[in-house]
Amino acid sequence: MKKIRILLSFVVIIALATMMNSCGNKREPGRTYMPDMAYSRAYEAYAPNNLAKENINYVDYPVEGTIRRGDLFPYPLPNDSAGYAMSAQIKDPLPPLDSTEMKEAGRLFNINCAICHGPNMDAQGPLATGGKIPAVANLTLTQYVNMPVGTMFHSVTYGKNNMGSYASQLSRRQRWMVIQYVKQHQLAVAAGKASATDSTGTK
Amino acid sequence: MNQVKRLFTKTFAVFIFLTLISSQGFLYAQSSNGEALFKANCASCHKPDEKYVGPALKGARDREPSKDWVYKWIHNTTSMVMTDPYAKKLKDEMGGVVMTEFPDLSNADIDAILQYANDFKPAGTATTTGPGGATSVSATPSSDNTVLYGILTLILAVVGLILLQVNSNLKKLTDEKDGIKSPQPVPFYRNKAYLLLLTIVLFIFAGYFLVEGAMGLGRQQGYQPNQPIYFVHKVHAGVNQISCLYCHGGAQDSKHATIPAVNVCMNCHKAIKEYAGAPIIKEDGTTLDANAEIQKLYKYAGWNPDTKTYDKPGKPIEWIKIHNLPDFVYFNHSQHVKVGRVACQTCHGEIQNMIQVKQFSDLSMGWCVNCHRTTNVQFNDDKGNGNKFYSIYEKFHQDIKDKKYDSVTVQMIGGTECGKCHY
Repeated sequence: MKKIRILLSFVVIIALATMMNSCGNKREPGRTYMPDMAYSRAYEAYAPNNLAKENINYVDYPVEGTIRRGDLFPYPLPNDSAGYAMSAQIKDPLPPLDSTEMKEAGRLFNINCAICHGPNMDAQGPLATGGKIPAVANLTLTQYVNMPVGTMFHSVTYGKNNMGSYASQLSRRQRWMVIQYVKQHQLAVAAGKASATDSTGTK
Repeated sequence: MNQVKRLFTKTFAVFIFLTLISSQGFLYAQSSNGEALFKANCASCHKPDEKYVGPALKGARDREPSKDWVYKWIHNTTSMVMTDPYAKKLKDEMGGVVMTEFPDLSNADIDAILQYANDFKPAGTATTTGPGGATSVSATPSSDNTVLYGILTLILAVVGLILLQVNSNLKKLTDEKDGIKSPQPVPFYRNKAYLLLLTIVLFIFAGYFLVEGAMGLGRQQGYQPNQPIYFVHKVHAGVNQISCLYCHGGAQDSKHATIPAVNVCMNCHKAIKEYAGAPIIKEDGTTLDANAEIQKLYKYAGWNPDTKTYDKPGKPIEWIKIHNLPDFVYFNHSQHVKVGRVACQTCHGEIQNMIQVKQFSDLSMGWCVNCHRTTNVQFNDDKGNGNKFYSIYEKFHQDIKDKKYDSVTVQMIGGTECGKCHY
């Protein structure tokens, strides 16, 4: 009787150990203690939901016409050739950036734009030089130096040629900040002062 | 009974000996201080012998513009990059990326790291072929050692057992010669010494796996699911140097790092229809058909590459979330990325070298707390560097000015309080 009990305890220990180590498959997330504490009952971001199936009225997008607190008014022009032509009259709603804001604008430019346009805005970004994306705009050329800020904003908002829309990555305020950064850098180039240090916007 | 006792003592001695032998690896780790420091602090951005995110570390002391420049640089990159001409030049060469500063590394530590880099020898051809890059190369020799030690331990154990058997037989012979009656021979499965040994071994092994398995519940280090599209971070973040924040922009603004919507993919893939880079070798040895994966993306986006229009309804890509925290833990990306200025690679590993992303850290509470204990918060200094978020900790600032201590860890501002993450 005693032997059986000892043997049984061995079997239980080994079985437990193997069970817990059996989730070694790296394609599976594995098991958890107390799943009701590990997995959220509330709907989490990026988690699938059954709201539509449960007949709960739910809209995936913000209501049309709403403005995020602290953000600028929506851009009024439509995404067509007429809108593009009219965009030249749109004025920059932001006051000139101070040095910290300009630094932030430079950071945003280097994250979102520099992969094609290059940190020096001369179309020497890693995706442009390898010919992966053709015809990247060299922002130091005269036509872009003279381009009105409104037209730039229109292009960044809706995309132009091979460039996609950056409206989902940069808020309206951020887009205007980046355009101020571009304009400032273009002026520096025009004045012949463009050095690599200016491109980081630390000045 | 006496014999059993003696047997037990011997077995025990053999056991202790084997344990000592098998812990050699531990001794090894301590002897190569420079390598350990390099891997812990520098390896995510530097390689010893070639340019990576930062410059090659080999010969750094020969290149430095003035004596002991490197100490000043490592201890205080943020102000050096503003004032020192050589530092400015370095920043430009590295595409505007400035190194994280390491005020905690002593000059001796830095010497050890640079010495390691100078002595470093590339591990032959494996560096170029291995998909994992440097990590897989450095991992191979250490695993070889484990196997070696395992085999050695096994051989020694067998030798020990044979010797014990021989010893007991010899003893029996001499006893017979002396005319001492030996007890009835017992079969080995009823021999108490063997049973004892077996029990101990079994309990140690089973206990080890039991504890290991129990701690592993709810953790998923190394989790590497197959995603709906075979997205290769090595191509995007590594070869093409796309900033992490280009796609995961939420990491600086919100709790979630955010998975990019399909339109973010299409920003570039409108123009990039074909993959022309080096062949991507999958884990099973086959080459990835990258163009087919781009076609999959077009299908999700509803994009027609011939007419360059979205002519079909799109649908979202259901990426599988890899890094999961239990519901009772609060974690916020922006707090770490924007305020703490923690590099993505600190927690996620060398994403820019991963073909398929896997979970790098175990995301255990001990891991979180350890980092909070050792990481310094970047207080705002007189020159305007650091982070203004922390300016509310006036007493700490005063104490630093009074030279009571020179840095403040996350723990000191309450980073290990239960309620910070569990509420």
